[in-house]
Order: sequence, then C-alpha cells, then structure tokens
Amino acid sequence: MTNSVNPFILADGKKPSCMEMLQLILDGEATAVQQEYFRTHMDKCAPCFKSYDLDNTIKELLKTRCCGESVPAGLVEQIRNQISQNQSF
Amino acid sequence: MEEEAPKNSYTTQEKNDIFNNEFLPHITSMYNFGYRLTFDQDDAKDLVQDTYLKAYRFIESFQKGTNAKAWLFRILKNSFINDYRKKSKEPSKVDYQEVESYYNSEDVDRQITPDLRVESLKDMIGDEISNALNSLDVDFRTVIILCDLEGFKYEEMAKILDIPIGTVRSRLHRARNLLKEKLSEYAKSMGYKNTES
Repeated sequence: MTNSVNPFILADGKKPSCMEMLQLILDGEATAVQQEYFRTHMDKCAPCFKSYDLDNTIKELLKTRCCGESVPAGLVEQIRNQISQNQSF
Repeated sequence: MEEEAPKNSYTTQEKNDIFNNEFLPHITSMYNFGYRLTFDQDDAKDLVQDTYLKAYRFIESFQKGTNAKAWLFRILKNSFINDYRKKSKEPSKVDYQEVESYYNSEDVDRQITPDLRVESLKDMIGDEISNALNSLDVDFRTVIILCDLEGFKYEEMAKILDIPIGTVRSRLHRARNLLKEKLSEYAKSMGYKNTES
C-alpha cells in the first residue's frame, strides 16, 4: 500500500520540496498523476495543507484586486489613427 | 518578430480583422501590465501604443488564430526593457545567482511567514495586496503578473520572458515568498499577532 515513486521527481533525480509541488498544483501545471500524489501527500503533511489554502487565497486576491486599471479614453482611437497615418506613407 | 519567422501575406482587410479581433481584445490586460511595470499612466499608455504599432508593423509574422496575447506581452516586455528601462537607467536589482542558490538550498521549505493566515489576508480590503505586488523588484513582479493576474502557462511565460521553464519556476517561487513576507508585514501592522494556528 506504499505510494509509488514521487511523480514530481525531476529528470536529474532531485526531490522537489513541498512548496515546489504545491506551486505546480496551484498553477495548473501538474499532471493528473502528480495531482493524485499530492492529494494523498496533503493528508500526511500539515504544512502543505495549510499552505494550500493560504497560497490559493493569495492567488485569488491578486487576480481580483490587481486587474482594475481601465484603459485611458481615446487610446484605441489614437492607435488606429497612428496606424492609418503610417499606412498612407 | 524573428527574421526567420515565416511570413504570411495578408490583405489590408485581413490585417485589420486580426488587429480588431485578435489584438485589441487584450488592450486592458496590456495596459494593466504596462502600468504595473512603470507605475505611471502616461508611460503605460506609451508602452501599449508602441506595442500595438509594432504588432501591426510585424503582423505578417503573426499566424492568424495563434497566441496573440503572449506575443503582445512579449513585445511590451521587450519595449519596456529596451526603451523605458534604459531611459530610466534603473538597473535590474535581481541577483539571479542568489535566486538559484536560494531555490536549491535546503531551507527553501522553511515556514517564512508562519504568522500569515487566510483570515488576515481576507481582512485586507484596501490596497495592501496591490501594494505588496508593487513592492517587488520588476522581474519578480513580472512573473506574478503573468502567472497569477493573466493566467499564462509556464511555457508561455518562458517564451514571453526568454528564459528556461526551470527559471520561470524558481523565479515564481522566490517572488511568492517575497510577496508573502510583505503581506506578513502588513498583517502585523494590522494587529495580527504571531499566533500559530
């Protein structure tokens, strides 16, 4: 019933840290096998369990709080005008 | 933009269609990126305008229906490095040697911010998150913007930034630890104690 080989181990044989594994999971870069391994791993690793929520919350907050800049009025028009001027040369 | 890139032959109508339907929908993300790099609305505007003019000029190297957003971000990032950064004479403060050695060190998993908790983050209803992001050096800020704000995959980020995927991962890792340190400072100043849950 022991877990099979850690699917996060890199080609050079280096064992990844918990945070490295978590990063791949939260960024949607982990394979299905890695995701399954990490789910089991979290049951046995309290720091990972805690970090999962924390890191996920930060990621969500960044997305919702840091994308609010609105494009200045007239910028699209300015770009279009510049392009048509360049075309006419 | 590479010289060897296969050229597509587009009519003016096709060029305008690509411009309107594939390039322009990303203008809000582009402006946000420009603003987060420069912290100045006029500079951000100039960067975006310059990016779109370049994209149109080299539109024949763009394959219709491919990843326009990543290409536009790459152009903007290069304009920022070549034009804006030179002008402002602000050298990159990131010591990559230090980054790599940090990443490979044994203590990379230590709890840097044991006091930072989800509850305190959720109480940050002002500009704390944004300010924490802005406090990071530009190369660390950039990877967070690309990954967390814009949702680019590591492979796309590697192409935008011209760095290997391994470096994308290590830079993101370091950037997030720095961000957490900053957020932790804010949490302390808001009165949260160093209590372990």
